[in-house]
Amino acid sequence: MTVPPEPILSVKSVTKRYRSVAALQDVSADFYPGEVHAVLGENGAGKSTLMGILAGFVVPDSGTVTLNGGPAPIGRPFQARDDGIQMVHQHFMLVPNFTVEENLALSGMRGLWQTLDTKALSKNALSRAIDLGWKVDADERTGSLPVGVQQRLEILKGVADRALVLILDEPTAVLSPSEVNDLFRVLRELKEQNIAIILIAHKLSEVMAIADRVTVLRRGKWVASCRIEETNAEQLEHWMVGEVPHREAAVSTSSGETLLDVQSIDVLGDRGNLAVKQAQFQVASGEILGIGGVDGNGQIELAEALVGVREVAQGDIQRPDATGYIPQDRHQDGLALGLSIEENTLLSHVPQDAENGPMLMRSKVRRWASDIVDRFRVKIGEITDPVASLSGGNQQKVIVGRVLSQNPKLIVAVNPTRGLDIRAANDVHERLRDAAKAGAAVVLFSADLDELALLSTRQLAISRGELGTDYFGSIEAPA
Amino acid sequence: MKQAVRLGLQGLAIMAGLVAVLFLTFAAFGQDPVFGVRTIFLGAFGDAQGISRTLVRATPLLLAGLGVVVAWRAGMYNIGGEGQYVLGGIGGAMIAKLLGGAAPAALGPMILICGVLFGASVAALAAWLQVKRGVQVVVSTILMNFLALELMEYLLRGPLQERKKQLFVTDTLPNEAMLMRFGAQTDLHFGIVIALISAIGVAIYLYLTKAGLQLRIVGDNPSAARANKIPADAVQIRAMAISGGLCGLAGAVDYAGLTGRLADGFSQNWGFIAIPVALMGALNPIATIFSATYFGALFAGSEELKRTLPIGNTVVPLVQGVVVLAYIGFVTWMSRRKPVVGAEE
Repeated sequence: MTVPPEPILSVKSVTKRYRSVAALQDVSADFYPGEVHAVLGENGAGKSTLMGILAGFVVPDSGTVTLNGGPAPIGRPFQARDDGIQMVHQHFMLVPNFTVEENLALSGMRGLWQTLDTKALSKNALSRAIDLGWKVDADERTGSLPVGVQQRLEILKGVADRALVLILDEPTAVLSPSEVNDLFRVLRELKEQNIAIILIAHKLSEVMAIADRVTVLRRGKWVASCRIEETNAEQLEHWMVGEVPHREAAVSTSSGETLLDVQSIDVLGDRGNLAVKQAQFQVASGEILGIGGVDGNGQIELAEALVGVREVAQGDIQRPDATGYIPQDRHQDGLALGLSIEENTLLSHVPQDAENGPMLMRSKVRRWASDIVDRFRVKIGEITDPVASLSGGNQQKVIVGRVLSQNPKLIVAVNPTRGLDIRAANDVHERLRDAAKAGAAVVLFSADLDELALLSTRQLAISRGELGTDYFGSIEAPA
Repeated sequence: MKQAVRLGLQGLAIMAGLVAVLFLTFAAFGQDPVFGVRTIFLGAFGDAQGISRTLVRATPLLLAGLGVVVAWRAGMYNIGGEGQYVLGGIGGAMIAKLLGGAAPAALGPMILICGVLFGASVAALAAWLQVKRGVQVVVSTILMNFLALELMEYLLRGPLQERKKQLFVTDTLPNEAMLMRFGAQTDLHFGIVIALISAIGVAIYLYLTKAGLQLRIVGDNPSAARANKIPADAVQIRAMAISGGLCGLAGAVDYAGLTGRLADGFSQNWGFIAIPVALMGALNPIATIFSATYFGALFAGSEELKRTLPIGNTVVPLVQGVVVLAYIGFVTWMSRRKPVVGAEE
């Protein structure tokens, strides 16, 4: 197949402002059928705004969107869907208590005034599943399915009927390496069916593996578009961040004193299940122990046990008094979103000099908070603004900042850079490394092999609650 | 400073809006709105009697409203203000009965303390049931309202009934045991001062102490509290105890300040109305002073209206409903309009 002559979907000089912030500025791009087109950029580059415009959720301030030669239904997401622009959101749009069949039928419904025949309504999607080589149990409750399978449902919803364009928002963020491989296989298959696939991404290795064409955005502006063979990872990274980020080698193994001593512990999960079995290891001052593995294998339970948030069912942990915990899910476990930035810096620790009996010393609190904001380069408006007003990367910096500022001797971090752009991720990496250099023991849980390789002085893997060392050999890196 | 000005302006806008809602409600029911609003206003603020009426009604609303603020800020949806208010009164009446005529000067404070303890203990019990046994506070406190009301009925027909055994009421408190009054002509009593001090106390607690910060963190995100070793269970039980204590105090203050005795109908739904009061005060203790005053004025003013207008009796609950709905609608609308800051992703 040669380069198709006509783009199926294109945007011309679109601009979208939120108040004074330009989320997108004069951006143009063409999307061709039968191609995977990756849209790359850091957090805040405008990727999601662009996707929102394409899918009809966001109305641009200026510019045009063309679908199949005619005007696209801007601001009318349902029409856009009926016209063949399908979107797979990062946060799945599924009803957890519905069965697979009901969820698929729900997206097939047009309006409320029709008799409900979930069998008929979900038929197309289920037969597509078979075409794509997926086994889907129509009667399974959706909420109990693994995220990888839930994502398949989202894709099935998209391709069930008329799909000209399929937009996927960071689809690999939640997937294990083998699930990523399977997703890519399916994307290639859909590509063969002449669907234009738009992929929002920020993992370069994946983009290089799957994309036919890339468009790079930076701070709301178009930077470059080209075919994938015309570029390479380094250049893409350069386009995304504007400069090649500084990369430091992992800290060398030190033989400091043992700070964390885990003696064959068992840890129970929320449902009383045995989430961690007989874990045993030590971490010394200056060490970064990387623990890899696919999400949901006991990482969170083990991490919580290490810092003392969760009790151990058996065994013993020797840990220093000063511990810091960077939880995986910043919205669920890291922040109180209704409270201010300043108040959120106090969430895990109130500095001693800011306490006067039961009272908080306002000036001391302010100094502590602004110190964190300054040292960790958190981009804020006012320090009394709600923390929810910050971007994801800056929210994460608030957490990392408050944890590291209390000078913990033990730091436990779970996927601390998930969803962050390269620059913010590098920042967090650097901070963790500095903390280790300063003598802390660090335990880093991560599903990202690159991150583990970059930071750890020693690596373990966790699988079904058991720690091992041989796991990495068997992990298949994304093709 | 800029924030203070903005808050002040917002307050004024809300006040104006509330008057406008009142105006429209009268108009919608075919009454002369100018006359209606004027009557309410004069009844509430027109003279010393009016102001006294307003503040006397605002007192239990403010205290119980603060109770709602503290509990809801901790994520504990205490709907049991009514029951806790009644128990506060019962606690006061019990200690009065127990002491008989002894130490009448100390009786006043004792009544207040007992009221607080009674309200606090049932609310803490409800909290404990949620935290340890999974019984939702919303459900348990609603049910406890009925228990408290039934308990009062029983006590008024049994152990707490007046000595003459004629009416279903308690003995009337001796004058020395009553809270101080500010004048012989009006009902205005020391309770309003207690309520205002409580409001300031709650504000200090919530915003200037570590315990208050923890309370708000727990209310905003219990999961994050847990992950950061804030003892969410203890914080929530404590919040409910304070909440119930404030509602109980409201009952005790009314008993020792206004009625001097318990009788059927002791509470006029103050514990329930405290919820819209707290919501209209945006769950902020200082703003709740104003919303309690507004509701107090509405009650005081409409008593005047009852005398002059045939629909006077019905207009108050009606206006309450309309005001609360209008306010909630307004807040929802405002939060929808809030722009996405730091638009990313």
